[in-house]
Amino acid sequence: MVYNENRSQLELFTMTRFLCLLITGLTSVPLAAQDAGQPSDDFNAVNLAVADHQVIPAYAVFASAATGLAEAAARFCQAPDAVTLATFQAGYHASLDAWESVQHIQFGPITYFNWNFRVHYWPDEKGTGARQLDTLIAGQDPAVLAPESFARESVGVQGFPALERLLFEDDSLAALQSDPFRCQVAQAIARNIDEIATGVHTRWVDEFRATVANADDRGFFESSEDATIDFLKAQVETVRRIQQQKLEEVIGETSSQARVRRAESWRSARSLRNLRLNVQALEELFNGSENQDVALSAVLYPEDVAAISARFAELDDSFNGLPDAFDTALAAEGGHARLLAVAAGLDALFEAFEASLKNTDLYLGFNSLDGD
Amino acid sequence: MERTLSTSLAPDRGGNLKRRHFLALTTGLLAAPAFAVSTARETPLFLSAASDADDRHWVIGFRQSNGLVSQVFKHALPSRAHYIAIHEGLGIYVVLARRPGRYLWVGDIDTGARLAEITVPMDRHLYGHGVFTTAGDRFYTSENAWQFINGDSGRIVAWDVVRDGDSITMTRSLEFPSYGVGPHELLLKQQAGVLVIANGGIRTSPEQPRAKLNIDSMQPSLAYIDAGNGQLLEQHTLDSDWHKASIRHIDLNAAGQVVMGMQYEGEPFERAPLIATHTQGQPLTPLWAPEPQQGQMSQYVGSIRYDASGDYFAATCPRGNLITLWHARSGEMVRSLRSRDGCGICAVENGFLYTAGTGRISHYDPLHDAVTELDSAATGSVFWDNHLSTRRA
Repeated sequence: MVYNENRSQLELFTMTRFLCLLITGLTSVPLAAQDAGQPSDDFNAVNLAVADHQVIPAYAVFASAATGLAEAAARFCQAPDAVTLATFQAGYHASLDAWESVQHIQFGPITYFNWNFRVHYWPDEKGTGARQLDTLIAGQDPAVLAPESFARESVGVQGFPALERLLFEDDSLAALQSDPFRCQVAQAIARNIDEIATGVHTRWVDEFRATVANADDRGFFESSEDATIDFLKAQVETVRRIQQQKLEEVIGETSSQARVRRAESWRSARSLRNLRLNVQALEELFNGSENQDVALSAVLYPEDVAAISARFAELDDSFNGLPDAFDTALAAEGGHARLLAVAAGLDALFEAFEASLKNTDLYLGFNSLDGD
Repeated sequence: MERTLSTSLAPDRGGNLKRRHFLALTTGLLAAPAFAVSTARETPLFLSAASDADDRHWVIGFRQSNGLVSQVFKHALPSRAHYIAIHEGLGIYVVLARRPGRYLWVGDIDTGARLAEITVPMDRHLYGHGVFTTAGDRFYTSENAWQFINGDSGRIVAWDVVRDGDSITMTRSLEFPSYGVGPHELLLKQQAGVLVIANGGIRTSPEQPRAKLNIDSMQPSLAYIDAGNGQLLEQHTLDSDWHKASIRHIDLNAAGQVVMGMQYEGEPFERAPLIATHTQGQPLTPLWAPEPQQGQMSQYVGSIRYDASGDYFAATCPRGNLITLWHARSGEMVRSLRSRDGCGICAVENGFLYTAGTGRISHYDPLHDAVTELDSAATGSVFWDNHLSTRRA
């Protein structure tokens, strides 16, 4: 291919291009008037729609639920009994529901101050969090529970897994009643989750929405396409991650290989609920909610969008009637096979995403995938 | 209007011109005033390994002029490659296979044509890096004697190099220990005859190609050895808290300062230094970026290079989609740039040229703090691999 490198022609081109931009700006011609059947290249519109309809509302729900959790924790520690514990546990479930619905966003404010790991450090393969929690409680030192100190404690004691351990053991109520410091630790974790959830939401609203909206100005992102790729990575990489980490690692290839204690949130008997919430959030990220003009799916070819939507529908069906906990699901007749079907559904979804991306020039990563 | 222009400027390549190239073209041209204008004859040649969506692997030579990239040559490689070493006097370049590959692919620097393909013995593999002596009579590679599963399996091999017309002979002549495991990039302090070796510390085996076998006990080091007899002159390690910071990539400036980029193998929430500088006879100096950049670097530096003056260096962070620019003497990070999957980088006359796994090629001019994205339509839809090399004009 031959380029004309004659400078005067280049200058003429530059000037023409400049004029085009001016005219475009003046007349506000929509830049992404799409041919039917073509993917949208109006990445900015897609990014803003996703931020406004999926990400920011999801963080708002998380922040609100986490504030409720912190309040329930405070009430429980004032009067620890079975009723206030049930409220505290309900606050945990509501907050974790909200977190599982936005956990796939792993860029932007959630990455500040190690917030992502502090909210939910999992998997903790070496059981470090449990040991550190025991040490923290044995220390009985109220000074470490002050927010600024607690934020510097190990990530293993700061988030949902540590709180779950305190709230969902068989003797949780007795243990929390007999040791006020144990209760204060639970309260500190709830307050910490609230601060992080509120912080992430506030920063999205106050700062990061504008960063996304102005991605083409190179303030943070390289371009609006670059920001779209972060949303796509949240979409595609999460499918593979939950398939492997949250499901296949737990159920193994045969029912005798199943190890439910490898699952996320197994103590609170909601590992499958987490997975279902993850999938629902991914589906909404892809297709958008009602009264949303454009969703993330717009950057793919319509036939690929149809294929991916069909995989989502199959996956939804595979969850039908499954309980929240793995052990219940595995105990049921044909339970292991049903879970394998969910894994196969996630695999098919991932493959559909990969195939769809190959038809575009959106690349999710190369050097970043496999180190050297 | 945009589509018409793209057609007029970028003639049809069988309908294969993708949107990115047109966008890149306009960005590049609009930003062109900040970019030095040089005539085509004198522009430096850049070389990089690349792969494509069909999993084919290439060595590509290109030049740039006024923000436009022109491809000089493109040759197929047997498998994925890593770094390309260049020797001006011999007029050759050597493409090194990515670990656990075993080939050295030698080409003519002017025509790009393949001159030889050399394979290391079956019980060895390369780590993707090599370095020439100034005279060009010798080439050094970092290798894995992987069957030594318990001891220091890192090896440095000295090759005798002879070019006679289109015939290249490379003969393994000497072999030294690297004084560690997993030697990666190596450099030569030419006048002193000292090899500087980044021992990454990670034990791997071609029998489990990408598995890391010793994370809990890994011990990376920076070693200086006599290039003539392999004698260990100096060896440095980071504080034991950071023994999981694998030292992979290094560069050297005229003042003799070495800068190293690391890849941290510990927990994702931990903060470990990813950059350090070193001057012979002194301890290592770990460097920290301010937050949030230190966190955004995602524990991974892919490539590190001084600028032409040696006063600054750039460390690319493809996992964090970030390029960080540092002042060499003070050790302070002075700037960070977003670059999606940006990894290959080298110094040019007025800053840095860098490549990305997305296929993008960009220029950064620190003086004007200006990024210029080049039109890379000519090199097509390829994923640029970790390293970018250049033959200065």
